[in-house]
Amino acid sequence: MSGNARFNFMHFLPYVHLPENHKEFKSLWVDFSNKYYDPKRGHTLYQRYLSELVLADRLGFDAIVVNEHHNTAYSMMAAPNLIASAIIPQTRNAKICVWGTPPNLEYPNRLAEEYAMLDVMSEGRLEVAFPLGTGMEYWANPINPTTARERHRESIAIILQAWTQDGPTKFFGEFYTYRFLNPWPRPYQKPHPPCYIVGTGSPETVELAAELGFGYSAVFVTKQRALELNRKLRERASSYGRTIRPDQMPLGVITYVAETKQKAEDEGIEHIRYFFEDALRTTPEFLNPPGYISVEQLKIRAALADKLHGKFDFDAVNEAFFCAVGTPDQVVDQLSQWGETMGTNHFNLMAAVGNMPNWKVVKNLSLIAEEVIPRMRTTAPVARRAAAE
Amino acid sequence: MTEFKRETLTVNGVKIILLTAGSGEPLLFLHGAGTFHGFEFAKPWADKFRVLLPFHPGFGESADDPAMNDIHDYVMHYVELLDLLGLDKVNLVGFSLGGYIAAKFAMEHGHRVRKLVLVGPAGLRDDKHPTADVLGLPGEQLPAMLVSNFDVIKPYLPTKPDLDFIGDRYREMTTTARLLWEHPYDSKLPRYLHRLTMPTLLVWGEEDQLIPSQQAETWRRFIPKADIKIFKGAGHLVLDEKREASDAVQNFLA
Repeated sequence: MSGNARFNFMHFLPYVHLPENHKEFKSLWVDFSNKYYDPKRGHTLYQRYLSELVLADRLGFDAIVVNEHHNTAYSMMAAPNLIASAIIPQTRNAKICVWGTPPNLEYPNRLAEEYAMLDVMSEGRLEVAFPLGTGMEYWANPINPTTARERHRESIAIILQAWTQDGPTKFFGEFYTYRFLNPWPRPYQKPHPPCYIVGTGSPETVELAAELGFGYSAVFVTKQRALELNRKLRERASSYGRTIRPDQMPLGVITYVAETKQKAEDEGIEHIRYFFEDALRTTPEFLNPPGYISVEQLKIRAALADKLHGKFDFDAVNEAFFCAVGTPDQVVDQLSQWGETMGTNHFNLMAAVGNMPNWKVVKNLSLIAEEVIPRMRTTAPVARRAAAE
Repeated sequence: MTEFKRETLTVNGVKIILLTAGSGEPLLFLHGAGTFHGFEFAKPWADKFRVLLPFHPGFGESADDPAMNDIHDYVMHYVELLDLLGLDKVNLVGFSLGGYIAAKFAMEHGHRVRKLVLVGPAGLRDDKHPTADVLGLPGEQLPAMLVSNFDVIKPYLPTKPDLDFIGDRYREMTTTARLLWEHPYDSKLPRYLHRLTMPTLLVWGEEDQLIPSQQAETWRRFIPKADIKIFKGAGHLVLDEKREASDAVQNFLA
C-alpha cells in the first residue's frame, strides 16, 4: 500500500429498539410497520449518533460517511443530506461523504442543488455517491424498477451537466425534460465534488463507474467478489482511457478494535450478529423487485442466498467478508494486507455496527484513531495537511 | 389428441413463438402474465377453429423487447402480427393481462374483431372489488391464489427450489412490471369501452382471488350488451379448472 491511507467512519444510524417479537418478521425493511418507531427514542438516538459522527472528526478520521435507505429499522437516514447538513457546522476537517441519495429517488436538479449547497456550506468537503438504490427502495418509492438503470444514467447525466456547464442549459431525455437547467448554487469544488458509484456488484454499475471515471465501492459482497470487481473496474476504466486511482476504490470493512482479540470478539460480535441477522433481514422479493436485475443475476444471487442461508456464524462471516475484529496490531495487519490485495488505500470503516451502544462506539473510534490510523499513515492525510496550512 | 404446431415469427424485429392448431376461422388467444400452466384448455377449440396462440414478447418462449413498455405496444404488436399472418378479422380471446390487451385492441381496432371473449380480464379499476396487486405479492403465495383447486396447477410447479423456474417467473414479472408497475389499470378504459360493439362474452371463475368475479358487472356497466358467464368452483385460472368454461368460449364463438 502506498500514498496517503484514508480512513472513513461510516455510520448507519439504525433504529435499534425493535419489538420483542421482531424475529417473527421476515423483513425489517419495506413492510416492517413504522408503528414500531418511537419518535422519543428516535430523538435520543439521533442526538447520540450525531455526537458519534462529530467525534470521528475530532479524533482525526478523514471522512464521515452517511447513506440513504427507506422504510427500515436498518437506518434512520431517509434523507442523508439532512444529517450531512447537521454535522457540517460541527466538524472542521473531515470530508462529508453522502454515499448517497439514489438519484432515481429525487428530481435530478434538486439533488444537484442539495449537493451543491452542502459543498458550499462545508467549503468543499463534500463527496457524493450515486447508488442505484437497493431493491427495497423501489418498493418504498414510486419508481419503476424495470427502468431503474436507464433512469439512473440519465439522472447522473443531468446532474453532471448542471454542475459542469454554465446555465441555463436544456436537457431532453427519456425520463426528464429541462427547459432551464440552471441550479443555484453551484458546487464549491471544481468541476464538482468527487463522485463514486456504490453498488452490490452488478456489471452495469461497474461499467457506469468506469465510463464516467467515478470511484466504485461494492457493499456486502464477499472478499473474492470484491477483488474481482476492483479488477473489473480497472480493466473497464482502461477501455475508456481512464486510470483508476487506489483511493477511488473504497474498501468497506466492519471494524472493532479492543485491547485483546478475545475482548474485541466479546464486545463486537453480538452487534455484528445483530447487523447480519436482524438489520439486514429481508425477503428475496424485496431485494429483487421485478426488473431490478437481469434474470442471469437473479439466478446467481438466488443460488448464493441458498448457500448463505442458515444461522449466523461469525467465523463464516469473518471468512467471507471484510471484517477486522481484534487488537490494534491485528487490525493494522489485516487492513494493510487487504489494502495491498485490493489495490486500495481508502478504508471505509463501519465502526458503529448494528445495535452497538455508545460506549463501544466511542471506545472503538478512539482506539482506531489512536492505535490504528497513525501506524498506517505514510504521510499526513490530505484533509489534515490542508487544515494545517 | 390435438398437438400444437410451433412456429417462429419475427414481428417488427421481435422474434416470437406462435403455437397453432386446427383449422377454420381464426381464434387468437392472448395469455396472461404467467405461462407456466400451459395451454391444455385451448386444445378442444382446435376442433372448430384455427387456434393461434402466440407468446407475448417477454413471456414464455418469445424473445424480450424492453422497449415495449406499455400496453399499447402490445396492442400494436398484435395489429402487426395479424397483418403478417394476412388475417383481416379474428375471434379474440384474452385472459387476465391478455384480456386487458384484448379489450384495448378491440376498442381501437374493432373492425378486426369478429367476437370478443374476456376471461378474468385485468386493466379495469374497481375500488369496490379491487384487483390483487400481483407485483407486490410474495412469489410463494401466488400459485395458491390462482386456483380454487390447487391440484389443477400442482403438476406445473417444481417440487423443489428450481433456479430456472424462479428465473422464468422473474422474467415474466419483469415484463409485467414494465407494463403495470406505475399503473396496474387504465383509467381511460371506462371512457372508451362503449366502443366494444362486437358480440362480447365475459368469463370468470367465481372464486377468483386475483381479479374478483364481481368485476364482471363493472365491465358490463360499460359494455351493456356483453354476456357474463361465471363458473362456480373455479378461481382465476377458470379455463384450466373448468372444461365447461372452455366449452362456453367455444360455443359463444361458434
